[in-house]
Amino acid sequence: MTTTTNKSVSRWLIAGCTAGLMSTALMADEAVVTNSFYPYNTETPSFDGLKAGMVIDQSNVAQFKDAIDPAFYGFIEQGMTTITVGETTSFDLHPNYVEATRASLGQVALGDEVGEIEGWSAGRPFPEEPDANDPRAGEKLAWNYKYGYNWGDSAAIYPFYWKYRDMDSGKVERTIKFNFHFLNYKGRVIQEPTPEITPNPSDLFRAIYVQVLDPADVRNTQLLIHRAADDLKRDNSWLYLGFQRRVRRLATGQVTDAFLGSDLMIEDFEGYNGRISDMDWTYKGTRYMLMPFYNHNDLTLDTDTHSDSDGYQVVAFGGQGGCFPEITWQLRKVYEVEAKPVDESHPLSKRVHYMDAQTFTIPRTVSYDRKGSLWKTFTIGQAHPDHHLPKNKGSGVSIDDSFSMIDVQASHCTTGQFKGQVDPELSPPQMFNVQHLRATGS
Amino acid sequence: MQTTIKGLRFWCCTLAGSASLALVPMTTAVAAEDTRVNGFYENATYGREGVGLSKFRNTLQLEGEKRIGDVGIFSNVSINGTLRGTYDGVYDLNKDEYGRTAGGSILLEDTATAPNPADYVPHGGGIAPTPSFGFDINQNPNDGMIVLGENLHAQDGGVGFGVPVRPCDVDSRGCIDDYLDKDLNELRFQEFNDRADFIRELYVDFDLNFDSGNVLSTRLGKQQVIWGRTDLFRVLDVINPVDFSRNNIYDELEDIRIPMWILRSDYRMGPTEVFDGLAFDDLNFQVVWNFDQFRPHDIGQCGQPNVILDAGCFFRGMNNLWENGGTVANFADGSIATDFGPGQIGIRKAHMPGWSLSNTQLGLKLEGVYGDLGFSLNALTYRSQLPSLRGGIPAQNAFTGDTGVWPALIAFDIHFPRVNLVGGSLDYYAQGVDTVFRVETAYTSGEEFANTLREKLYSESDVVRYVVGADKNIFIPALNESQAFLFSGQIFGQHILDHEREQRLLGEAGIPDWEQNWIATLLIKGFYMNGRLSPQIITAHDIRAQATAVAPSVEWLVNDHFKLTAGANFKVGDGARKFDDCRTCNPWDPFTAAYPGQPAGETAGLSGYEPLGRFQSGPIGMAQKEDEIQLTARYSF
Repeated sequence: MTTTTNKSVSRWLIAGCTAGLMSTALMADEAVVTNSFYPYNTETPSFDGLKAGMVIDQSNVAQFKDAIDPAFYGFIEQGMTTITVGETTSFDLHPNYVEATRASLGQVALGDEVGEIEGWSAGRPFPEEPDANDPRAGEKLAWNYKYGYNWGDSAAIYPFYWKYRDMDSGKVERTIKFNFHFLNYKGRVIQEPTPEITPNPSDLFRAIYVQVLDPADVRNTQLLIHRAADDLKRDNSWLYLGFQRRVRRLATGQVTDAFLGSDLMIEDFEGYNGRISDMDWTYKGTRYMLMPFYNHNDLTLDTDTHSDSDGYQVVAFGGQGGCFPEITWQLRKVYEVEAKPVDESHPLSKRVHYMDAQTFTIPRTVSYDRKGSLWKTFTIGQAHPDHHLPKNKGSGVSIDDSFSMIDVQASHCTTGQFKGQVDPELSPPQMFNVQHLRATGS
Repeated sequence: MQTTIKGLRFWCCTLAGSASLALVPMTTAVAAEDTRVNGFYENATYGREGVGLSKFRNTLQLEGEKRIGDVGIFSNVSINGTLRGTYDGVYDLNKDEYGRTAGGSILLEDTATAPNPADYVPHGGGIAPTPSFGFDINQNPNDGMIVLGENLHAQDGGVGFGVPVRPCDVDSRGCIDDYLDKDLNELRFQEFNDRADFIRELYVDFDLNFDSGNVLSTRLGKQQVIWGRTDLFRVLDVINPVDFSRNNIYDELEDIRIPMWILRSDYRMGPTEVFDGLAFDDLNFQVVWNFDQFRPHDIGQCGQPNVILDAGCFFRGMNNLWENGGTVANFADGSIATDFGPGQIGIRKAHMPGWSLSNTQLGLKLEGVYGDLGFSLNALTYRSQLPSLRGGIPAQNAFTGDTGVWPALIAFDIHFPRVNLVGGSLDYYAQGVDTVFRVETAYTSGEEFANTLREKLYSESDVVRYVVGADKNIFIPALNESQAFLFSGQIFGQHILDHEREQRLLGEAGIPDWEQNWIATLLIKGFYMNGRLSPQIITAHDIRAQATAVAPSVEWLVNDHFKLTAGANFKVGDGARKFDDCRTCNPWDPFTAAYPGQPAGETAGLSGYEPLGRFQSGPIGMAQKEDEIQLTARYSF
């Protein structure tokens, strides 16, 4: 009996300890998820002297030097632009994405080589706080960006205005009107089918389709990018040239070339549009910084560039040469990540990405040329989906809403004005086939 | 010689004008998302060495699209139209070269010392050894002519004859009914013709969606259908004929394809698993039915600035010989200028295929993406868009006066034989060298070639053609630190599988085209000022012809509406080449025998520049003397 009693007690003790440990583990997991997706639940960012509603300009910028990336700081210091500070608000991603992250916690690991990942199916692969002592921390953040919620399962920027501007004179040299479409083949969490579109013979992760609407000399130019799930595999890209009416496969070299003469290369799209394995990633630190997050509907908008039946208007631009979006900026938790190209012939020596910790978007990037000199700076304004188009409300997508790529060496910029729409009907899978380019071309 | 539908041109002009007037205000008024109207005005002014103005073309093009959406069971229904009208002022501003006062009197070589001791005789001054020789100089006066090939080469002991060069309403000599018979207005206003070419494109698109997710996409109407993956050369891209009279081989095919009334349907399957283990990223099956009445390439009419291979001049001169007779340089005994009578030698007529179901053209294409490989398999049955000269027509023997079919007599009809094509294409991105490779190949049967070994002076041959191309971006920091240069190279190969060539007593005879030949092209293109300033250089080298074209240009986008392009086109190389010209083919045996015992219709191989050397010189070599400077201004709206 004694033995039996002892055995029962032991069993209960073991069960109790296990439950306690599991409970502790679950709580720890939940803390990781909460910290990653809701960083402002418990802590509101602050910076000495910084208040919502204030304007940072030449006169007071020095006070906020540590809250602004060095390139943008330089612009303000030179009087080229200002920052209007807004309240920090939470950009909650869609609960399904959060749940997918929760479901795969602890199951995702890096492979032996940069660009290899194991165990990911959906959600944020590495929601834990980056560890400065982890030599691959930067790579994990890059994966979080790549597998981020970004535009959701699919979306369209429909339309999308790019203006090429002389930063000295302010002259708009060229206006190109696009439609951009995005589709995730894998890691889908909301739009059916989930988690993957099948058949998917080339095991694609994502596709991007771009169509030029204006002006006449580039009308109907179309770009299709297929990104394989295997990060070690290069993208397949095709270009349809309207004036040739032919689809041409692109050499990857062309993704580091100016896209249609703009200040952006294809690799710049969305902050970084290349392979993880194309870069050496280094985590540089975490801090609160001013980042371009705002409510689109609260802005004074551009009344000239776009008009349509639903009354939507795009973000206005001002400042030196009209190169700066007239938006508000929030103090937010940011991961600074440095990306150095593996390929020595790459036109850049490095990019410094400022990743938003909550959304894992890349609203600010500073690029350096082969000589290490500051070359370009990229701002992608992020709009809250609940203060944008009605159809975007509740989508949980941090809406890319405005961009400015400034070539500081050439004193030239390309600005982007978006009508971002999280609407699966605008980006059906059939759109992301090579044949669609031919069918659409005329 | 011309066939026109009375009043059609008036109605075409009226319709185009009305449409233009109707559409122009819409360019600003129409902003609806489902409707688009835009267009451009362009002036292209070219100057040619030794000639002066060679182009002053003014183009107004309007493009419209109306998206209708879903109609019954069809989705994505839309209507597209493109109207294009041009006026080329070169026929008025340089009319001594290309208009109503072009040409003049000519002299034809007579290298024999007797009976005419002079080196040259005027047109009409050749010998006429029998009453059947000779022609009525009043019907075929020595005026408004050039000597065939005179812009490129001297007569140099070879064949030569006069070619009328004025528009066909000014001088109808040598104008071939329904083929090369443009009057002055058709030259000036190229699109306003009997085929209503001012309606450049007009088609409706519609999709039929299947439950499987597959889509049947159809385009019906006047359109261009583009096959293949190569630039400049047409290996698979042969569905629409091409207007070479616009700028020889150098314009974008987009601008010079001649749209046809076509039904094109694509069954788009998207990512498809054909069977276990074989899955395509994209798969598409296309049927193309060109139900339009046949049209050949526009090779250029003699008297136009661009006459590819100078073939239009050869044809016009030959048709004039047939219709009116004429003097042929260095003919009798290979050295005496000879006056032939009508109906003896030359080109009688062109057999233009009329509309019938059996004359329509059908193409099939399976195209897809398999992993990193893009591919297509193509098949097409069509009519050759290039003319074939078939001998063996009844003609008069100038020695006997008898009419009959004479072996190897240079008397022809023009035919456009049916050709069957199978082929395919591939593209592949090679990561290791960061280069895209493109391959395109076609095997044709039914093509016909001039052949002086055959009694009818032509033979059929299967042909293999291919292009291998490579595209690579290369940074040249010394020239541009921020943007790479595009290097695009191609090798075009042609193999005539049933080629015939023999050495005869006086030279080689047979098919003048090279049995195997290659043309290499290289494009280097750079971008400055955010892509608004783009210099480029295109070079093309015909390896067997030893002829090279170099075309540098600079394109400047002044703003979103206005573009200037300045360029040049220079040729270097051997130019004209000689081949058996059939003077020694002995059609009228024994009178034309070159040596005792020469069999009738068997050439001895005496050669000259004309008429067959052109097939060895190729389009680059034959345009050797057509160096140009070019300025084009386009305003888009």
